[in-house]
Amino acid sequence: MISFDKVNKFYGDFQVLKDINLTINKGEVVVVIGPSGSGKSTLLRCINHLEKITDGTLNVNGLSVADKKTDINKLRRNIGMVFQHFYLYPHKTVLENIMLAPRKVLGQSEKEAKELAMYYLDKVGISDKADAFPSQLSGGQQQRVAIARGLVMKPEIMLFDEPTSALDPEMIGEVLDVMKALAKEGMTMVVVTHEMGFAKEVADRIVFMDEGQILEEAVPAEFYENPREERARMFLSRILNH
Amino acid sequence: MLDFSILTDYMDVFLEGFKITIIASFIALICSFILGTLIAVMRIAPFKPLNWIGTVYVEFIRNIPVLVIVFFTYLAFDFGGMTAGIIGLTVYTAAFIAEAIRAGIMSVPRGQMEAARSSGLTYGQAMKSVILPQAIKIVIPPLGNQFINLVKNSSLLAVVAGGDLMYQGDLISASTFSTFDTYIFVGLFYLILTIPLSFGVGFLEKRLARSN
Repeated sequence: MISFDKVNKFYGDFQVLKDINLTINKGEVVVVIGPSGSGKSTLLRCINHLEKITDGTLNVNGLSVADKKTDINKLRRNIGMVFQHFYLYPHKTVLENIMLAPRKVLGQSEKEAKELAMYYLDKVGISDKADAFPSQLSGGQQQRVAIARGLVMKPEIMLFDEPTSALDPEMIGEVLDVMKALAKEGMTMVVVTHEMGFAKEVADRIVFMDEGQILEEAVPAEFYENPREERARMFLSRILNH
Repeated sequence: MLDFSILTDYMDVFLEGFKITIIASFIALICSFILGTLIAVMRIAPFKPLNWIGTVYVEFIRNIPVLVIVFFTYLAFDFGGMTAGIIGLTVYTAAFIAEAIRAGIMSVPRGQMEAARSSGLTYGQAMKSVILPQAIKIVIPPLGNQFINLVKNSSLLAVVAGGDLMYQGDLISASTFSTFDTYIFVGLFYLILTIPLSFGVGFLEKRLARSN
């Protein structure tokens, strides 16, 4: 469903991604971890072309992302994305936030879009806030709205870029619960996170990155019990024993 | 002591000019707002040739005196004074409005565009539905000031026989020989327009500050 083949990315002279080879299958939940600056967010953002790869091949849903002939807007309809800082549209109500893309991109009628939006709001447990503005919601609520905004396009892939890093600790759980439910339904998910509990419980695979490279790929049990790489071992000991 | 008989005798002439000034300013405002938004979007669009066109427009127009532009539109085309004046004002004001709007757009967090684009919206759709509505809020106070400048600059219609307040003042002073008094009244008429506008802008500024 997603495959990186010898992908490199540079910002000027600085190489952010080094020879990335990674395949993610349909229905898989892949958690990407690693120290900050290791290129995990960039890797994620390449998948829906928010970042351009410099060379190599990146295929998503059978389409080459870097190919000029690929209709990137069409590709993106199929990929939901959730950001660290939510990026809800502050001038629109919760309902309008969710309805925008279905209305504009899929051409749904007002009624159809509203029903669908309410369905997903209900799914993330926040339907009572439909008419509120983002600024009236807590961080956790905002992030759940952002997830609903992604889901309403019925994407085949959901990308999460540190979805809980900007949240108060007591709100992390509600967002992770929504993500866990989503994973159980068989959604293909790529998640950049530091939430080790989530990774252990939900991930099919852990990808460990450092300095732009994928150093290790393993199932969670194996990765946490017995990481092969010294760098991964160091990283784990730092984040687990604090 | 001011000769108020000028005001009473020529009231209809003053009012005619006052009306033209309002109409010309209003039309130029609407047109320069549309043109200015277009140029602002061109300047930041992810397409270099558009950026260049936008930049050239702004730098070129902004650095020519508005009087020269109004003369140019009057002499280069066969419009009447009022139309030529409105076009000249529009072209000039649009450059400043474009800069104000561009600054507003740039102040909307980058993530807003990314969120909109990643849900499949085109650049144009994202601009229209997500970025511009947020930018407008930031841009209203500077736009208000541009509007006040526009009203004052509309007095340049007088030099191309645009029929505005200043022009009517010229006519009145020529027939009464009371140059000083006439222009005092002209000035007061401008104040009737610009003082409420100025307060309006201040009021909007406060309200927008609160809603954020």
